Amino acid sequence: MKFLSTRFGTLEVSDGSILTFPSGILGFPDWTRYVILDHDTDAPFKWLHCVEESGLAFVILDPALFDANYRVEISAEVLAEVKGTAGDALTLAVILTIPSEDPGRITANLRGPLLMNPSTKLCKQIVLSDEYPSRYPIFSMPSVRRSVQTESRSEAIPA
Amino acid sequence: MLVLTRRRGEGVTIGPTIRVVVLGIKGGQIRLGIEAPPAVEIHRDEVYARIQEENQSAACTGVVPLDAFRRLLRTGRRSIA
Repeated sequence: MKFLSTRFGTLEVSDGSILTFPSGILGFPDWTRYVILDHDTDAPFKWLHCVEESGLAFVILDPALFDANYRVEISAEVLAEVKGTAGDALTLAVILTIPSEDPGRITANLRGPLLMNPSTKLCKQIVLSDEYPSRYPIFSMPSVRRSVQTESRSEAIPA
Repeated sequence: MLVLTRRRGEGVTIGPTIRVVVLGIKGGQIRLGIEAPPAVEIHRDEVYARIQEENQSAACTGVVPLDAFRRLLRTGRRSIA
């Protein structure tokens, strides 16, 4: 399908790549269908772009790249919403906030990660307790150095 | 907004499956007990609001500062060696 992006112009993606957030992303409940845009760059982030609203897009990142110990417990209800089973390889992503005036102060929202089920293409933004920061500075943490090298994968653990 | 007055131990029923009970009142704080099906998500307002707010800020990203990203990652890699 083709869709319009205010950032990237007209884009074409395969229908099979469409991700559905049945409950939307918090604050944007009216839009449920997104695609992940890969960049031809060595930077590890991706865009999660809404195919229904040309201006709606988020920059996302695999949390394992800056915090190898980031673990999220998935409740049975959340698992059911993405139609996952305990054995499924679910993936996690976190949304980045990039201040335009100081890009080095990029933060990741660890309190509201995105859970994705690659086999059903169903996704959900999970709400975690406040022990997880919603503005985690990804570049000022010493663990960045270690995890860039290890390429460890973040895990979503079905409870 | 529907406004109801309840005493300690009293509750309200919302739809066929949700019940909210006032468990206790102390100072300016009220303890609520909530019974709802597991699929109904219940969060403190501020937790939800915080994530919504953060999503709104994140959605304002125009262009990713690729150079900054590369520079910062390179800095990381160099310090390993």
